[in-house]
Amino acid sequence: MVIRGQFETELTQLKSEIIMLGTMVENAFDETIKGIKNKQYGKMEPIILNDEKINRLELDINERATLMIAKQQPVASDLRKIIVSLKVSSDLERMGDLTVDMAKAFKRMVDKEELGHFEKELITIASKAKAMMKAVLVAYQEGNVLEAQKIASMDDEVDRAYGQFVQSIFKVVAVETGVTESITQMAFISRYIERIADYCTNIAEWIIYEVNGKRFDLN
Amino acid sequence: MSLLIKTNPMQQQQSPFNTNESNKRVVLQTRALNLWYGENHALKNINLPMTENEVTAIIGPSGCGKSTYIKTLNRMVEVVPNVKISGEIQYRDRNIFDKNYLVEELRTRVGMVFQKPNPFPKSIFENVAYGPKIHGIRNKKILKEIVEKSLRGAAIWDEVKDRLNENAYGLSGGQQQRLCIARCLAIEPDVILMDEPTSALDPKSTLKVEELIQNLKENYSIVIVTHNMQQAARISDKTAFFLNGEVVEYDDTNIIFSTPNDKRTEDYITGRFG
Repeated sequence: MVIRGQFETELTQLKSEIIMLGTMVENAFDETIKGIKNKQYGKMEPIILNDEKINRLELDINERATLMIAKQQPVASDLRKIIVSLKVSSDLERMGDLTVDMAKAFKRMVDKEELGHFEKELITIASKAKAMMKAVLVAYQEGNVLEAQKIASMDDEVDRAYGQFVQSIFKVVAVETGVTESITQMAFISRYIERIADYCTNIAEWIIYEVNGKRFDLN
Repeated sequence: MSLLIKTNPMQQQQSPFNTNESNKRVVLQTRALNLWYGENHALKNINLPMTENEVTAIIGPSGCGKSTYIKTLNRMVEVVPNVKISGEIQYRDRNIFDKNYLVEELRTRVGMVFQKPNPFPKSIFENVAYGPKIHGIRNKKILKEIVEKSLRGAAIWDEVKDRLNENAYGLSGGQQQRLCIARCLAIEPDVILMDEPTSALDPKSTLKVEELIQNLKENYSIVIVTHNMQQAARISDKTAFFLNGEVVEYDDTNIIFSTPNDKRTEDYITGRFG
């Protein structure tokens, strides 16, 4: 008989729920980027509404984790798994909120001046962030510290691209008229993407803590 | 006949565990301790320090040697037939196995509380006064003072002060255990050994005894064997994990219960075996 078989099952279920939460956030982010790319302003509303489901799942995960602490009195690696599940789910929920912020910002760009090639740059930054999201979820599922450590360099790339992007779009404000609103919203969207990438790095740090028991600053 | 086997000093090893302490003194230092029950090698090369004014918890599955070890610390284990011991345990820089060391003297300094409360079939007062009387104290006033101080020390004075002449058997299990702790305190020991002191108690009495242990460590050094891992985590400063007669890991309790070094410790404290 496996001792604590039931508890092991509960730990596995907890992780599956977080992966599900992560996938929901990833999909929302994906849909937002596709919408931006294809100028589908109408696609933003369902994404905004869907955030409620993400929030509810995060609360479910919190509830489940709290009950496990109360009933199973975990220690050491078991306790870390549960604590990290709370941290990761909270970070994912924030990523969901930022995705909603992106969708709202994009909605505000409807009927405004289009900024063709800048949008392409924005999509490039978003793809990098998307790759981070994917990688960090896989690393979390596998408890893979090496993969988690790689997230940091991906974040550096996003930060660099974000910095360049903001500089270049604000140069346009100086020379062109009527683009201020679009430029501002684009700056916001890029900022949200950059924050999402930061949250991915946070999660990567939690993965390292879960496995090694040590906090590690990847920023 | 001496139970001791002479140990080659070369065999004595430094403890492999993290034992560096800033200011606190080591009260009991075990070095290269081996113990056999007949052919059964029950303790294997134990090296452990017990620090002053701290609670050291000994944890491990049944039959791992933790009770044997704690009973060795005041030489109670010697009453078992066919016991052989090698190595040394220094109590305040004196080897307790030294042939000049009187076992009575050792047990006065190193007291013990057992799993099941075992009061004498006497009054509450007599239970506590018994030890001091054996040590020759006859003055009633002094005895009264000792009894009150000890009962207060064991956090049971308020519950029994009006019934000191009643039989100790009339007390609840939790009260009896605290009475036994008071009896132990009455002879003013330096170290208190506790062998699963709360395993026969209900949760509330358990918490009372745990609270008491926390208070007692201000004046005493405490070694506690416990099957209750949460208890070890709650009340001890250091934890030693025993397995098959060996110390697998000894460290700060915070480390043992958060990031133990040895996979076997991790598996035990997370309930994967034992």
